[in-house]
Amino acid sequence: MKKQQLWIGLLCLGILLGLWTTFKVYTVGFSLYAKTDVLVWTLPLSTYIFFSLTSAGLAFISSFPVVFGIKRYEVVEKRTVYLEIAVLLGSFVCLLLHLGAPLNVVYILLSPNPSSPLWWLAVLYFAYFVLLLSAFWRIHTGHISKTLGVLIFLIAIFTSTTLGWLLGMTDARPTLNASFFSFYFPLTGLASGMAALILFSMVYLNLSGQAVSEERSALYNEFARLMGIVAGMVAVLFLWRTISGGISSTAVEYGGFKHMIGSIPYNIEFWLGLVIPTVLMLIPTIRVTIWGKVTASVSLLVGMFAGRLEFVLSGVVRPLGQMAEGRPEIVSYMPTVYEVFVALFGFSVMLLIYTIGERYLKLEAVPE
Amino acid sequence: MPRYAMVIDLQRCVGCGSCSISCRNENNVSEGVYWSHKITETSGKFPNVRYHYIPTLCNHCENPPCVRGCPTQAMHKLDNGITMHDPNKCIGCRYCMINCPYGVIYFNWKNAHSAWKAENSLIKGVTSSPAEEVRKTGGKGIPYYNPERNVTLAGIRPKGVVEKCTFCDHRVNEGKLPRCVEACPADARIFGDLDNPQSQVNQLLGKFRPFRLKEAVGTEPAVFYIRDFSAAGYPRTKGGV
Repeated sequence: MKKQQLWIGLLCLGILLGLWTTFKVYTVGFSLYAKTDVLVWTLPLSTYIFFSLTSAGLAFISSFPVVFGIKRYEVVEKRTVYLEIAVLLGSFVCLLLHLGAPLNVVYILLSPNPSSPLWWLAVLYFAYFVLLLSAFWRIHTGHISKTLGVLIFLIAIFTSTTLGWLLGMTDARPTLNASFFSFYFPLTGLASGMAALILFSMVYLNLSGQAVSEERSALYNEFARLMGIVAGMVAVLFLWRTISGGISSTAVEYGGFKHMIGSIPYNIEFWLGLVIPTVLMLIPTIRVTIWGKVTASVSLLVGMFAGRLEFVLSGVVRPLGQMAEGRPEIVSYMPTVYEVFVALFGFSVMLLIYTIGERYLKLEAVPE
Repeated sequence: MPRYAMVIDLQRCVGCGSCSISCRNENNVSEGVYWSHKITETSGKFPNVRYHYIPTLCNHCENPPCVRGCPTQAMHKLDNGITMHDPNKCIGCRYCMINCPYGVIYFNWKNAHSAWKAENSLIKGVTSSPAEEVRKTGGKGIPYYNPERNVTLAGIRPKGVVEKCTFCDHRVNEGKLPRCVEACPADARIFGDLDNPQSQVNQLLGKFRPFRLKEAVGTEPAVFYIRDFSAAGYPRTKGGV
């Protein structure tokens, strides 16, 4: 009980720091972030991308029993859908603190621009959130809705690939511009979604002290193996991205990505996010242990978080056009404490919502 | 309906920066924001070096990636070809800044002209504080506030939204030239209608070989550059090994 109170207290502290940051940002201005006219997208946006792709990955997992009829995954359906909601709300918090004039989002409805991928993302996320709430309500009342499941699956594909389109449209920044990201994003999202589900399930099992049935144990081992395979696939794509965009390319526009290769976020992404989880989860004796699964999933999530930052920075650290006047060829970046608080805010909101669900909504329940 | 464009004659341009200064005054542009700016480069190896100066501004592209990506149509095209921005619809996502290949869109990270809000004077009782200066002149935020800018766009743009050059649409609507064109002492900026075959813009484009910035990205800028300043000559040579 004491541990739980401490946990809730820590999350509330994170939220209070986030609220204070919100107040400061909207009164003082965005100059509180480590931003210049060059670094227009930084940690708050990369955290949003991390959350939104993790949520899409969870949606893919929740589609296994509903869309593809793999019934044995139904036992984790409720937890997965609830986790999707919590993660999505975390992403909304970070997005809100990225936008300069969030009250104007009403013009997404009043003055729509369908040629903008950002407009589509906003519409899709709104629909996604409503559908998720409806799906969870159905599951909570003991039923799984196939229609909602299929719609959520389709929207998750569209949100994660539209994010690829959004960045693929930026002809001026080839580092971000690659249709490549339209499949890299869903795949990495699936990896982080799996890691999140494994991590939260393992923590629940450990804290609840419940005996795990053989069937469930086999299911978690299967998830862990899948996570290792997906992380391995991503590692291959990651290396190809490094070779094609960073090592073999002679285009000056790739200077930002070339600079990021070898940086701290790049190495965290590769070693912690991809290599370690792949290796750990492909060794059967480690895969079956709780500590092995927890280590691999935490490592993957930390790596993916750093990876999203590496990706965003690789697109903005090299100034373009007149912005390059009087500036170095590559602009360095170190997040400010306010940016860190924005990320902390997102995590605290997500974890608090999840903790409340775990406490009151019986996430272990299996729908009919 | 005209389709406005600008020709910048690099042979006439002396790099004095009066385009940038006049732009700031006309549009109440805040510190750190450059609607009118420049790209400078040096070429060669010492002692054989050369300095290049290219004045820059929003290119008012015919195929503008900033407009295509804006989710709320805050960034939009006017019928006369001007790329305009509506701060009331801007959500501050900065996607236009990511999309613009020319780096000409700026985000207001904080309140504009914050330095003019200071109440402390340099020498107490002798000099006035920035805020006093503003009050004395009756300006709005700055002593040199131009109320005419407010006709088509917020006179001073709020924090949290982007801003950029508008080809001085408020002046063009009244039949005047953009302020930077008018202020150029060397007449290096020529403004006019691309759809009028007799316009000075078209006469110059037909006479010289123009180039535009980053043409390969396909944005079709409406700012053209002609000629290049060089008073230098050199003896005829085939080089050597």
